[in-house]
Amino acid sequence: MKHFKLPDLGEGLQEAEIVEWHVQAGDTVKADQLLVSVETAKAIVDIPAPYDGVVVKTFGAPGDILHVGEPLLAYEGEEDSGTVVGRLEGGTEGPQEDSFFIGAAPSSREHLAPRASPAVRQLASRLKVRLEDIKGSGPDGLITRADVEAAAQGAMAAFEGEKLRGVRRSMALNMARAHAEVVPVTIFGDADLCRWAEPRNPLVRLAQAIAVAARVEPGLNAWFDGQRMLLRTHEQLDLGIAVDTPDGLFVPVLRDVGNRSAEDLKQGMARLRADVQARSIPPQEMMGATFTLSNFGTLFGRYANPVVVPPQVAILGAGGIRREPVAGGNEVEVHPILPLSLTFDHRVVTGGEAARFLKALVEALEKP
Amino acid sequence: MSDKSYSLVEAVNLALARAMEEDENVVVLGEDVGVNGGVFRATLGLRERFGRKRVIDTPLAETMLGGLAVGMAAQGLKPVVEIQFMGFIYAAMEHLVSHASRLRNRTRGRLACPMVLRAPMGAGIRAPEHHSESTEALFAHIPGLRVVVPSSPARAYGLLLAAIDDPDPVIFLEPTRLYRMNPQPLPDDGRRLPLDSCFTLREGHDLTLVSWGASIHETLKAAAALAERGVEAEVIDVACLKPLDLDTLEASVRKTGRCVIVHEAPKSGGLGGEIAASLYERVWLDLQAPIQRVTAPDIPPPLYRLESLYLPGVEDILAASETVLDHA
Amino acid sequence: MHDPDIPFTRYLDPDGQPCAELPPCAEDAELLERLYRQMVLTRLFDRKAVALQRTGRIGTFAPVLGQEAIGVALGAALHKDDVLVPYYRDTGVQLMRGARMEEVLLYWGGDERGSAFADPLCAEDFPICVPIATQALHACGVAAALRIRDQHRAVATTCGDGATSKGDFLEALNVAGAWQLPVVFVVNNNQWAISVPRTLQCGAPTLAQKAIGAGMPGEQVDGNDALAVYTRVQAALERARQGKGPTLIECLTYRLSDHTTADDASRYRSSEEVSAAWQREPVKRLQAFLVSRGNWNEQREQDLIEHSQAQIQQAVERFERIEEPDPDQLFEHLYARWPAQLAEQREQMRERAARRGGQAHE
Repeated sequence: MKHFKLPDLGEGLQEAEIVEWHVQAGDTVKADQLLVSVETAKAIVDIPAPYDGVVVKTFGAPGDILHVGEPLLAYEGEEDSGTVVGRLEGGTEGPQEDSFFIGAAPSSREHLAPRASPAVRQLASRLKVRLEDIKGSGPDGLITRADVEAAAQGAMAAFEGEKLRGVRRSMALNMARAHAEVVPVTIFGDADLCRWAEPRNPLVRLAQAIAVAARVEPGLNAWFDGQRMLLRTHEQLDLGIAVDTPDGLFVPVLRDVGNRSAEDLKQGMARLRADVQARSIPPQEMMGATFTLSNFGTLFGRYANPVVVPPQVAILGAGGIRREPVAGGNEVEVHPILPLSLTFDHRVVTGGEAARFLKALVEALEKP
Repeated sequence: MSDKSYSLVEAVNLALARAMEEDENVVVLGEDVGVNGGVFRATLGLRERFGRKRVIDTPLAETMLGGLAVGMAAQGLKPVVEIQFMGFIYAAMEHLVSHASRLRNRTRGRLACPMVLRAPMGAGIRAPEHHSESTEALFAHIPGLRVVVPSSPARAYGLLLAAIDDPDPVIFLEPTRLYRMNPQPLPDDGRRLPLDSCFTLREGHDLTLVSWGASIHETLKAAAALAERGVEAEVIDVACLKPLDLDTLEASVRKTGRCVIVHEAPKSGGLGGEIAASLYERVWLDLQAPIQRVTAPDIPPPLYRLESLYLPGVEDILAASETVLDHA
Repeated sequence: MHDPDIPFTRYLDPDGQPCAELPPCAEDAELLERLYRQMVLTRLFDRKAVALQRTGRIGTFAPVLGQEAIGVALGAALHKDDVLVPYYRDTGVQLMRGARMEEVLLYWGGDERGSAFADPLCAEDFPICVPIATQALHACGVAAALRIRDQHRAVATTCGDGATSKGDFLEALNVAGAWQLPVVFVVNNNQWAISVPRTLQCGAPTLAQKAIGAGMPGEQVDGNDALAVYTRVQAALERARQGKGPTLIECLTYRLSDHTTADDASRYRSSEEVSAAWQREPVKRLQAFLVSRGNWNEQREQDLIEHSQAQIQQAVERFERIEEPDPDQLFEHLYARWPAQLAEQREQMRERAARRGGQAHE
C-alpha cells in the first residue's frame, strides 16, 4: 500500500479537521479528483488526489484532527520507494534475457593464439609472414625470430652444418645489416696508368689518391647514422683496407692517410697485413675506418659492387690491372688500365659528389 | 510457462527464502530486516514466513553484527548479516579481518566461519554522504575471505545461494544502483553458481572488457556501441573478486589481445591493478596494447551533484577502448 | 520508559500548563519568545526542505518534525565558544549555530559546500555526521583538547536512541567518565531507529542509565518541553565548563516524520500511535504556555509565520542561485598540500567532463 499523507496546506501550523470524505475504500480515483475536504483555522480546503489509483483505506472520520504528514489515504498496489535514502531507478531498458557463460566463452577456450614477442610479431609483419602458419620452436609453442625468418625464406628444410663463429659470423651479421640500411649506387671508372714509371703495386697510390679525392669531396669521407639522421664528415682519412685471409675478411685501418709519406704508408700497410696474418691485430686497429678500399684485383676481377658498411658512406673497389687497348690520339695503344668501382650510399651522397670524387681520384692516380 | 520476473533485490529475497527453507541453520540478522523487510526490502516477508528467531531485528551496532556472526557461525549456524550500506561495514572490519577470515586457519579447521555479510555497495542513487562506497578492494585484500559482487538478478540468486552454502565467510556486495533495474525471468530452482568463476556475458574477438558490479551496466552499453562500429567486444563479469578466476580472463585476453578494465572504485589500489598485473604475468606476449583501466579518480565519492562525473560512464569506456584498438 | 533512580524533568504538560515548579528561565519572556520563534522557523524550514525533496531540488533529507524543542533549546544553551558535534537530524541546533538555511539545503542537495559554514557561531563546530555515533568519540576528542589546554569551554554532542547501542557511544561515555571530560551527551530518543523501536535497542528502562556504568550523571527530560530541555542542558554545560565533568541527558520525544524522505514509517508503526504523539508535540506546547502568560497572540503568530516563510523563501532563492559545483572541486580539498600525482587525474576528469558534453551534474 502506498500512503498519501496530509500535504502542507501552506497555512502554517494549524491542524486540519476532516469535514467530509468524498471517496471511500474500494473507489477508483483519478489524479486531481477531490478526495476530502478539511477545515483549517482559516478555511475549508479541498484536497485532490495526487495520482490515479484504487483507494484501500481512508484515515480519520469527520471531526478528527490530522496533522501535516499524517496518513490520509492508502492506495492499493503502489510499490513503496524501496529505499531509505536516495532514489532507485527502475527501468527495463536492459536485456530481458540474461544469458551468460560460466567462465570463459567457447571461442576463448578453443582459441590457440600464436604466441610471439612484440619484436617477433613486428618482424613477421615486415616479412609478410602469418604467425598462424608457423609452428613455434620456442618453449610452450613460442614463435621465435628464427622461426619467422625461416618461414620467410619459404619452407626451408632444416639441415646440418657448421655454425658460424668469429669473423665469418660477424661478416654474416654485418653484411646483412649493411644491406638492410644502405642504399648503394656504384659508379665504374678506369684509371690509365700509362704515365707510371713502372708497374707497381698500386695500393699506396690508391690510398693517396683516395686522400686527394676526399679533400675534393669530403662528403664521401664521412659517417652517417640513419636512425638519428646524423652526418659527420672527417678531416682525416682513416682507410680501412680489406685483407683476405684463410679465416675470412679482415679490414684493418690505416690511420691518417692524407698526412703520411708514401714510404710510411707502405710500411704501415705491411705491418697491418703481417699482424692480420699472424692474427695478432688488436680490435682497435680494425675500428674507426672512415672509408674502405677493397683491392680485390690482386686476386681476380675487374668491377664489382662492394658493400658500404655503415657508418661509412662509400667504398672503393680496385680490380686487376690489365693491359688494354685504348685510343691514344687517332691510334690504338696498349696501356695498363686499373678498373675502379666506387659504391656510395645514396642516402647521403649524391651522384655528382661521387662522380667528382672518382674523377679526382682517377686524376691523382694517373699522375706519374 | 514463462518464469516470473525479478529485479536484483527481489532475486536476493528469493534466494534468502530458498536458503532458509532448505536449511534451518540459516539465520538472517541486521537492522530493520524483520518487520520492515530491510531498508531495501531484501528480507521482505522472511520474518512472517520463518519467525522472529530466525529473522532478527538487532540493535543499531555494526561491530556487534560482525562479532555476533562469528560466534553464531562457529556454532554451526549460517548467519546472513545485512549491513545497510557498504560504508557501515567498516565498524565490523575488525571481526571480519581478525576473526572471520582466520578462524579456520587458527584452529586448524576445528572451527569455521560459514557466514555471509550482505551489503549494498556503490554510488549512483543520489544518496547522502557515506552511502556510495565502493571499497571492495579492502576486503579482497584479506586472505580467508571470499568477496562476491553480482550484477544481474540470476547471478545474484545463484551466487547468494552458493555463498550461504559456502563453509567460509563471504562478503556479498549488491550494487544498489542495479537493485531495481531490469527485472528478468528467473526460475526459483535453487541452482547455485560457482564462487570461483568469472562470467562471460558477451562473446567477441576484438577486445576484452572486464568489469563487475553496477559498472557492468555501462560496460554492456559500451559493447553495444562498439558493435555498431563493427568492433566485437567480449564482456566479462568478474563477479567473484576473491579468489579471482584468472583462467577465464587469461583465455579471453589471449584471444583478443586487448583489455579494458572498468570499475567504480578509485584507481589506486583498486582491483583493476591486481587484475592487470596478473594478466601481464600470464599473457603479455599476447597483448597488442597496454591494458587500460577506467575507474573513479582517487577521491572520496562526492555528494551527488558531481556523482555522475565520478562514476565511469559509457563514453569513458569507449575512449579507453579506442586507445587499445588504435594501438598498432 | 523511566527508572526511579534516573531523574526526569518536565515543567510543562502537553497542553503547555505547568506541572512542576517552574525554573527561573520561565520568567525570561525574551528567552522564551526566542525559543518559540526559532522552533517555528525550524518547523517551517523543515517542511520546506521536505517539499524541495519531493520536487527533486534536494536529495534525501532527514526531517526534525516533532523534535524542534531539543535542537533549539540546545542551541540557546550553548555559548558562542562551546563546540557542537552533531549527528544528522540536527537542523534545529545547526541553524542556531550560524549555519545558513541555504547551506543546509546545499548539503542535503548533494554539495559539499553546505558543510563549509561561512559564518558559524563557532568555527570549530563539526559538520553533520552520517555514520552513527562516531561523533560521540569525536566530541570526547574535542573535549580532551579543551582539557589539555585548560579552557573553560564545553562540548555538546547529539545522537539518536539507536546510536546508544553502538560501541562508539559506549566507548565515548566510558572515556568521558574516566577522564571527566567537559562534554554533554544529548540523546534524542525519538523512539524509532528507522523501523526498530526503542524497546528493541536496549534492555534497560532508560538510555540515560548507561551513564551510571561510565561514572557520570545521567538524566531524562521531556524532549517536547523546551523549558525542561533548556534548563537541564544549560546546567550540564555549565558544570562541564567549570570542570565538573560530563553529563548524559536523554530527551524523550517522538519522531513525527518518517526516518528520511525516502522512508515510509506507516510500514512499521500505526497511525494511531503517531496521532497520539502529535498531542504531545513541542511547538504547540510552548505556544500554549506563552499564550497563557499573555505573551503571545493570534496576530503575533500570523506575523511570525509570514516573516519566517519570507526568510525561508529568500534562503531557497539564494540556494537555487548558487552556481553548479566545478568538477575541479572534486580534487581541491583532498590534501593540504596537493600531490602532483593527482594532476593527471584532474586532467582526466576534465576530459571526462568534456565527454559528458557539459552535463557533469545531476
